[in-house]
Amino acid sequence: MNSQTGELAGPPHVHHMDARTAYGAAKLGMWLFLGTEVLLFGGLFAAFAVYRWKYLGEFTHASKHLDWRLGGLNTAVLLVSSFFAAVAVDAAQHNDNKKVVRNLAITIGCGLLFLVIKYIEYSGKYHHGLFPGTAEWNSPEFNESYKCFFGLYFAMTGLHALHVIVGMIVLGWVLSLARKNRFSRKYYTPVEVGALYWHLVDIIWIYLFPLLYLVA
Amino acid sequence: MAESATGEKLNYLNHERGLWSWLTTIDHKRIGLMYLFAMTIFFFVAGILALCMRLELFHPGPDIMTAETYNVFFTLHGTIMIFLFIVPGIPATMGNFLIPLMIGAKDVAFPRLNLLSYYLYLIGAVLALVALVKPVGPEFFSNFLTWLGLTGPVDTGWTFYAPYSLESGTAVVWMTFAAFILGFSSILTGLNFIVTIHKLRAPGMTWFRLPVFIWASYATAIIQTLATPVVGISLLLIILERVMGIGIFNPKLGGDPVLFEHFFWFYSHPVVYIMVLPAFGIVGEIIPVFSRKPLFGYKMVCYASLAIAFVGFFIWAHHMFVAGISDKSAIYFSIATFGVAIPTAIKVFNWVSTMYKGSIRLETPMLYAMSFVFIFLIAGTTGVYLATLATDVFYHDTYFVVAHFHYTIQGGAVIGLIAALHFWYPKITGKMYNDKVARSAWFLVFVGFNLTFLPQFVLGMQGMPRRYFDYLPMFEPMHQLSTIGAFINGAGYSLALLNLFYCAFFGKERAPSNPFESHSLEWQTQSPPIHENFEETPVVTDWPYSYGVPVEGGGHH
Amino acid sequence: MFNYLPEQASEFAYKVDRVNQFITNTSVFFIVLICGAMLYFAFRYRKRPGETDETPRIEGNNYLEVVWTAVPAIISIYVMYIGIVTFREMRTVEPDALEVNVTAQKWKWDFEYQNGKKTTAEATIPVDKPVKFILASRDVIHSFFVPAMRVKMDAVPGMYTYVTFKPIKTGTYNIFCTEYCGTGHSAMLAKLRVVSEAEFERWLNDNSEELLKAQMSPAERGENLYNKSGCVACHSLDGSRRVGPSFLKLFGKKEALADGSEVTADENYIKESILNPNAKVVKGFPPNQMPAFEGQLTDDDISALIAFIKAQDGTRKAEEKKESKPQAEEKKVDLASLSPAERGKLLFQEMGCNACHSLDGSRLVGPSFKGLFGRNGKLTDGSSYTADEKYIKHSILEPTSQVVEGYPPAMPTFKGRLNDSQINDLIEFIKTLK
Repeated sequence: MNSQTGELAGPPHVHHMDARTAYGAAKLGMWLFLGTEVLLFGGLFAAFAVYRWKYLGEFTHASKHLDWRLGGLNTAVLLVSSFFAAVAVDAAQHNDNKKVVRNLAITIGCGLLFLVIKYIEYSGKYHHGLFPGTAEWNSPEFNESYKCFFGLYFAMTGLHALHVIVGMIVLGWVLSLARKNRFSRKYYTPVEVGALYWHLVDIIWIYLFPLLYLVA
Repeated sequence: MAESATGEKLNYLNHERGLWSWLTTIDHKRIGLMYLFAMTIFFFVAGILALCMRLELFHPGPDIMTAETYNVFFTLHGTIMIFLFIVPGIPATMGNFLIPLMIGAKDVAFPRLNLLSYYLYLIGAVLALVALVKPVGPEFFSNFLTWLGLTGPVDTGWTFYAPYSLESGTAVVWMTFAAFILGFSSILTGLNFIVTIHKLRAPGMTWFRLPVFIWASYATAIIQTLATPVVGISLLLIILERVMGIGIFNPKLGGDPVLFEHFFWFYSHPVVYIMVLPAFGIVGEIIPVFSRKPLFGYKMVCYASLAIAFVGFFIWAHHMFVAGISDKSAIYFSIATFGVAIPTAIKVFNWVSTMYKGSIRLETPMLYAMSFVFIFLIAGTTGVYLATLATDVFYHDTYFVVAHFHYTIQGGAVIGLIAALHFWYPKITGKMYNDKVARSAWFLVFVGFNLTFLPQFVLGMQGMPRRYFDYLPMFEPMHQLSTIGAFINGAGYSLALLNLFYCAFFGKERAPSNPFESHSLEWQTQSPPIHENFEETPVVTDWPYSYGVPVEGGGHH
Repeated sequence: MFNYLPEQASEFAYKVDRVNQFITNTSVFFIVLICGAMLYFAFRYRKRPGETDETPRIEGNNYLEVVWTAVPAIISIYVMYIGIVTFREMRTVEPDALEVNVTAQKWKWDFEYQNGKKTTAEATIPVDKPVKFILASRDVIHSFFVPAMRVKMDAVPGMYTYVTFKPIKTGTYNIFCTEYCGTGHSAMLAKLRVVSEAEFERWLNDNSEELLKAQMSPAERGENLYNKSGCVACHSLDGSRRVGPSFLKLFGKKEALADGSEVTADENYIKESILNPNAKVVKGFPPNQMPAFEGQLTDDDISALIAFIKAQDGTRKAEEKKESKPQAEEKKVDLASLSPAERGKLLFQEMGCNACHSLDGSRLVGPSFKGLFGRNGKLTDGSSYTADEKYIKHSILEPTSQVVEGYPPAMPTFKGRLNDSQINDLIEFIKTLK
């Protein structure tokens, strides 16, 4: 099954193309998928742009309710996690499965830390009644433009948090393969593709952070 | 040659048997057939809904249903036809079956992802069906259903316009979530095809040796991957608005309903090309084979596919000329829309020129292909009325639009698919269809289709708005013609598909591997193909349209 | 050929139909040409029994490709051009157009004329006079379609759109709703009556002014006053906080006062607050902001205002808001024909500047506008100012950053509520107040 053409080896289940093609296909596929993810968030960014223009002053004011320190901390956490994901890829290319496991574990840990901080932020919003569904939110006195800003805030960061979770699951799966010593100089596609996805999750946050937290 | 236990030649249909082998298959050919099976069911369900509506519209006033039922029917007709039938449509069926065969590959790039797409499609379909549930039964049970948001079949129209869709008391959340899942399935299919066409072409299969169906599928796949996420996010936002009460599209919560229309059409205009571009490809395959001539202006046809896909992204707001966008943007979108007319016109001219000095056999696929050209000419030229600002103001949201898009989608995509099913039938099943029945069915489809929708152009000109349960008596004659046509049309489709199904299971006539003498790669393997398509990887030395004898000044390839 | 369009009842209808006919003729020509060629080829080059199927290998012809790219392109450009020219004409509003407010609601059309006359499901307009229907919606998107006039436009909740045309024939025409809006969508019809100008005048003034006023409920008159007297500038209807308390659910509420006592917002309290605002100021709001309306409003007016405030009990919120907006729009529409200073004057009333700034030199909450332009003086922070364009603009956008000495920092910001050209209009208006 494991054809040995070129310097790359294929994953065990691929039988309909050679290993080099499989590697290229997986990378192209992931890049395309990242493109669709960018467009998915692109819709939200477009909506944000429209309403930022419509509610110029109010958005600036609403943004002051977000804690830029927590947002900044989360940015740092994700940047660090991305660094360790990149190290994991390098380790896989050097046949060091143990190092892959170690670095991916740190990456996933950072993802978890990110979610914890996000949870702290969300519960803060909940206590201040800036959360959809609270009594304050549903009262007619809650400003329309605030509803719009925080609606977008929760939609954007919520969807992003979902991506963080998916990314952690993907990396967890890659980690379990690394524990079985699956990767080598000849075959490291899942590590690379998983890390690519993680970088995207990171990059989207890097756009979200200034947009939401720093407009004030 | 390998043989199965019963002594038949081994092929993808008999190398494994049993339902389980189908449900767990990662063979692109089998997945294509599974899509075809599910989609045929939805096609008939939505078709029957349409016939019910046509019956209701035979006379003005309520006849067989209430206005609420009618509104649910046209919503379901649109939603099922669009999201469950024609968007997956040709790519998921013929694309899945043909792309690897045509480029000389063993399978698509990600076979397991392909199966995942299929199951996502099924999950989406099931969700859409669940959304039909009404809160009935004992109180605790109906309360439970209401709590789940299952408050009755959706009545918003397939366009889900806000704020109507935000306020409708029906199961909008379920239906939009179903459409979201179906969109995800569509993205993965498109992504799979792009990678397949890039990476898995057989040795010698250069870009300009690809059949035009591949070019069309490639352009389609690009639209699937790039446009679908945007509708995904807008449907997601509808769900969030309904569930959490945030205000993105609802003017009462500070939102902007026109923004939803922008998002929606940013996807749903290009999606029209997801439906018809593959049909263009199919016609481009059929006409050369039955004319024994190379496809005229092959490269122009390929470029035209890409041009249509590209321009298709910049013209969405021509659905919104009277939606409250500024006059300036209306003018821009009108100008851009005319840009898509030109590559479309090029294709039509090239198809017809291919027949010049040919040796033409009017087999059933060719009859469908020629009908396609006629119907698509009407679809295209009536599109001009809608792209032109002065006239669109009048025609927007009238029956003229209804007729126009049925000419495009049913006359274009569905007839293209039926043509494809006949043309590749011997390859798919290894049998031949009953030709006499197929021709009669074609006749019924052609006559019935035009009788249904030509009167609707007249209705639109007279000012009849669409999505009307009831109408003024002045519109009655044309509605009656249309209803009669719809039943003939339905009979035609039923006959055509019954013929295909019957002959597949009970037909005696075995098809040779290349009954229509095509030069394309998929016909060079046995019928039906073996599990891995080709005995050995083919090496391509020529393009697929090298029909006829080379002549002086005949152009060059 | 193939023309089933309804009769041409508006001035530009024949132009629309001319574009339509050109497309039809061109389309029929090409369909016949192409399908004719296809059928001819299918017959002429059919494979006859016994014949070989050898054909010349013609792969293309660059010359032909250029021709059939260029010809459709040229025709497209021409059609697009005449379409745009006609469209622009269809969207151009004549300055003397009669304005009618149209409000769509599931599933009826309401029409309101400038003299306050209201009708439902039937609009009457004079022949040979341009008309502008200003469209709004109370619930979902509807669309206003008059086939005979060749006009259509969506009525979108939260915004205003319009159609305009000049009817050229008397008669009764259909109005359809063409944007799906639910159960009664196909029943959401109305009639458009086009009558002679004399008949229109008779119809329009059928009810005398007094009769009309008598028809108005006190709350409706109160709403008019709320907008006209400038209450709107400081008191919201949606619960949001401006300079003063919102009117939403105000009536009957127990309010704590600045001096620690408590009061119920009943008729008497409200009346007192209108006539003598500083007597009992609600805790948390600044005193000395509201001008006294003693002598400006009659007892009748005050009763109407109280009725209006009572109506803000939260149940009619959306409706009231929608109803109040078309009137603002009505005024805005005149704007094109007015000079900047005249527009500024309208804004001065609409935005409620008049509540705090007088025109006659008297001191209200803020400085009077009389002789303001070019005035020099001192700000609260001790610096000096000259009231030029820049200063006034800045004061409108960021009022509290430069308050004139002796005045409270009370003015709300108009950032996002006024655009640049509106601010210029206001400045032009202020300049005229020598």
